[in-house]
Amino acid sequence: MSIPPQQAPDPKRFEVSKGTLLFDRLMTQVIRCGGIAVILAVFGIFLFIVKEIVPLFSGAEVRPGEVREQTGERPQVLGVDEWGERPFLYSGRDRITFISATDGQREEVEIPGLKDKVITATAYDPVNRRVALGLDDGSVGSFIVAYQTEFADDGSRTVKPEITLEPWFQVSVGEGAVKALAYGDGGAARVLVVAREKGLAVLRLAQKRALVGKPKLALAGTDDLTSQVNSEILGVAASQNGQAVLVADASGEVRYFQSDAGKVSLIEVFRPFGEEPPVRMDFLFGGVSVAMTRQGGEQKIFSLFRPEGSEIRVFGETKSFDPLGSGTPVFAPNLRNKSFLTGAGGRLTLRHLTSGATRWEGEAPFEPVLATFDGKSEHFFIAAEDGRIQGYRLDDPHPEAGWRAFFGKVWYEGGSGPVYQWQSTGGTDDFEPKLSLIPLIVGSLKGTFYALMFSVPIALLAAIFSASFLPHDMKRVVKPAMEIMASLPSVVLGFLAGIWLAPMVEDKVPSILLLCLSLPVSALLVGVLWCRLPMKSRRLFEGGREWLLLLPVLGVVAMVAWSLGPLLEKALFVYRDPGGREIADFRLWWPQATGLPFDQRNSMVVGFMMGFAVIPVIFTIAEDSLSNVPKTLTAAAAALGASRWQVVRSIIIPVASPGIFSALMIGFGRAVGETMIVVMATGNTPVTSWNIFSGMRTLSANIAVELPEAAPGSTHYRTLFLGALVLFMLTFTLNSMAEILRQRLREKNKIV
Amino acid sequence: MPREDFIAVDHFSFFYGAKQALFDIHMDIPERQVTALIGPSGCGKSTLLRNMNRMNDLIDGVRHAGDIRLNGSSLYDPKIEVISLRKRVGMVFQKYNPFAKTIYENVVFSLRVAGRNGRRELDEVVERSLRSAALWEEVKDRLHESAFGLSGGQQQRLCIARAIANQPEILLMDEPCAALDPTATLKIESLIRDLKEQFTIVIVTHNMEQATRCSDRTAFLYMGRLIEYGSTRQIFETPRQEETEAYISGRFS
Ligand SMILES: Nc1ncnc2c1ncn2[C@@H]1O[C@H](COP(=O)(O)OP(=O)(O)OP(=O)(O)O)[C@@H](O)[C@H]1O
Ligand SMILES: [Mg+2]
Repeated sequence: MSIPPQQAPDPKRFEVSKGTLLFDRLMTQVIRCGGIAVILAVFGIFLFIVKEIVPLFSGAEVRPGEVREQTGERPQVLGVDEWGERPFLYSGRDRITFISATDGQREEVEIPGLKDKVITATAYDPVNRRVALGLDDGSVGSFIVAYQTEFADDGSRTVKPEITLEPWFQVSVGEGAVKALAYGDGGAARVLVVAREKGLAVLRLAQKRALVGKPKLALAGTDDLTSQVNSEILGVAASQNGQAVLVADASGEVRYFQSDAGKVSLIEVFRPFGEEPPVRMDFLFGGVSVAMTRQGGEQKIFSLFRPEGSEIRVFGETKSFDPLGSGTPVFAPNLRNKSFLTGAGGRLTLRHLTSGATRWEGEAPFEPVLATFDGKSEHFFIAAEDGRIQGYRLDDPHPEAGWRAFFGKVWYEGGSGPVYQWQSTGGTDDFEPKLSLIPLIVGSLKGTFYALMFSVPIALLAAIFSASFLPHDMKRVVKPAMEIMASLPSVVLGFLAGIWLAPMVEDKVPSILLLCLSLPVSALLVGVLWCRLPMKSRRLFEGGREWLLLLPVLGVVAMVAWSLGPLLEKALFVYRDPGGREIADFRLWWPQATGLPFDQRNSMVVGFMMGFAVIPVIFTIAEDSLSNVPKTLTAAAAALGASRWQVVRSIIIPVASPGIFSALMIGFGRAVGETMIVVMATGNTPVTSWNIFSGMRTLSANIAVELPEAAPGSTHYRTLFLGALVLFMLTFTLNSMAEILRQRLREKNKIV
Repeated sequence: MPREDFIAVDHFSFFYGAKQALFDIHMDIPERQVTALIGPSGCGKSTLLRNMNRMNDLIDGVRHAGDIRLNGSSLYDPKIEVISLRKRVGMVFQKYNPFAKTIYENVVFSLRVAGRNGRRELDEVVERSLRSAALWEEVKDRLHESAFGLSGGQQQRLCIARAIANQPEILLMDEPCAALDPTATLKIESLIRDLKEQFTIVIVTHNMEQATRCSDRTAFLYMGRLIEYGSTRQIFETPRQEETEAYISGRFS
């Protein structure tokens, strides 16, 4: 045998071709860039969300302007135009002083028709800028300070005040000068509450439409309330709409009168501070809540609410604030939202009614006696006893936000107790948004819980069966089928759930209950019987084909259970209507038996459909990890005489447990973030309840439903982002925890 | 009196799908002796061995003809559960494969799956099996630590201890020393000679010295056929077939 002639070796045989190297480097860079880009993108999204929500948690920003000197009388009214440019002071005479907030220039304006009147009481309504006047002869009147805003060609603005006197009315009740008064302007129907030295009256004024000219204000009636109050009257207040009238007397009692349909009636007598009378009663924006302040600065909020079982709304204490300190308390309600400025002895605080939070705190340069907001909630002003005033710029875009509002129980106006509630938008301007995220978090967890309850057992058992028992040829059909199931768009599933499944199962709850019970039980029974069968007949279905036998049995059981549902309903779920008739209907029985509502689009439907979406996710991942358990281990266990189930239980499941765990986590993530199914298959009612037969609203569905209508930058908009962050954190922490646990499991069951 | 045909392979043929791996194998394996299966790679040694406890059932699409009898009863008797059959036959695999459990739990696995959980019994079995596998002295202080902390040779001996814990009648070993160093190999060989007292052993090996050192009988397989079967001495000293001689003298690959 001859060796073939040796050829000279190729000198380049140890070199790597340039192309290979280049491609290698290129791919390394591409992969590195891709990885970094993904991390940056996730981080960027996170940053964006955080940036959107940070303003929610910052307090109000307040910048003081210059103090404007004003020598003269003690002011009784401080008001300002809606731009916060020309505040005015009124001291109960025939003149009114306007001061420019920008340069401090003063302008005195005569009020016609007040020349010879002796004004003994004033009241101010900052919304209409109306100063109500009470005279020593017992007559009452008012004037309105209006501002004409003119825009010059260069865009600059000049604000020109204009004063309109309104008609005078003589109070026919009581005697003596007017001591205190309050004006409630409900548009067409108004009230003037007048306390005289002797006597208390409510004047009902009506706007009469004249044929020509302006509508005329006329006295529609006077109600004498003198006999209803037994001690000296210290103060009166009327709500903006004129429907609620409060009268405080020297004994510490406050009386609530309701003015409705031409009638004034006493509704309630209460004592906000026991024996001591309040020194201030101020209605807040919306006219449902009133802030009571007593000497020493203790402050309580009373709100109208309907006690359980009652038709009439009464005032009840909903909040109490830290004492303001000594000194004369001042108070100004915000005209845009439920915050208010208060303080005493030179300290000022900006508080919010709903959340009870202090938005800002500061020291005034003098001890203020009056305070007021402008109509845009961009400025507020305070005035001292000697007529000095100071303006403040206010920047508080999200007064109703805060930890309490989002995660705490809040006593909203009109409610009968503190609650978790989400109701972001309402019909009216003075609607109080309810922004608790708790119902949404509960909704998310609830939907997830029911979906996982349905899908986890099915998916895991199916994965175990497919990985360890099913013959190969059938497995080749099952896995792609599951993947097709996973690719069904969730909007289709949601559509099916809402339109088809929900109405179908609505009256079939007993049948479904029976199904859930009888299917597993009958499967177990078949298993027991199977073991009893002689070896010969078992051979027929050996090798993972046993299910062929199980299938018809389950089919028959399901049909029987389905048709037995109505019988079960007749036997167990009988509703007794008020007339004593008995109706076998689960939908009526459930609310009667549990006190919980029954909705057609409920969590059960969501559980089924979302479960349907989650099953393939869990199945595929769990099946893969179960199939990947090394054959050497299963063979060793089988060789030691373990049955198939023993192999699965003691070898396959422990080794695959990290994979099964991540399957569950990914399933959880899918269910928590699932949006379309929830949007379409539930009523989207944000209830805080685990009732399986009621709907829910999840964080994700909430974002989908409300984001399109939320104004960018508004509290509502930012709160939706906060919901997104909560969702993000929820999945993030759960996934991180799961990952740690998974590593532990892997450590424990690692195979060499 | 030991039985001469303790394992009776009776005209046995075996197919992986369409591929036939064993052709009409006929041999009797005597009780309490060591029988070595030798032959070039791919000749069907593992296949034959794995058929002796029906491990090949775990593979899809397999088929057989003929019969294998253990102590007179057929493996394919429809009245016999595969599981109870496997309990009579212990198996040690080519690559050591302890479970992700403690040393103790590895050894008692076959008892646990049989539902025997008595503490005293398990303790005894662990000590006896580990002593038989010549591992007791090395691991007696760390019985409750993970089996993965052992060296390769120790892990293989642990697998042997695990296989004999339930005292099977037969011990099948598929190249038990393939992954071991010479010292560990020697230990296992002497172990095999000791275990012969209690078990009928069938061992697959590529190592001719090993076959001569520890087996009583040797069977030479080639391309799925049994070429020659006799006492080890006879096979290695006076092979009757040309292929046998070629193989054992290393002229074959
Ligand atoms: N699971 C299987 N499916 C299909 N063919 C197989 C399978 N296992 C083994 N074979 C084939 O059967 C024949 C015998 O294989 P076997 O594993 O018994 O060989 P062996 O003698 O043990 O070889 P080695 O010494 O390399 O382990 C080989 O040709 C192999 O390709
Ligand atoms: Mg082999």
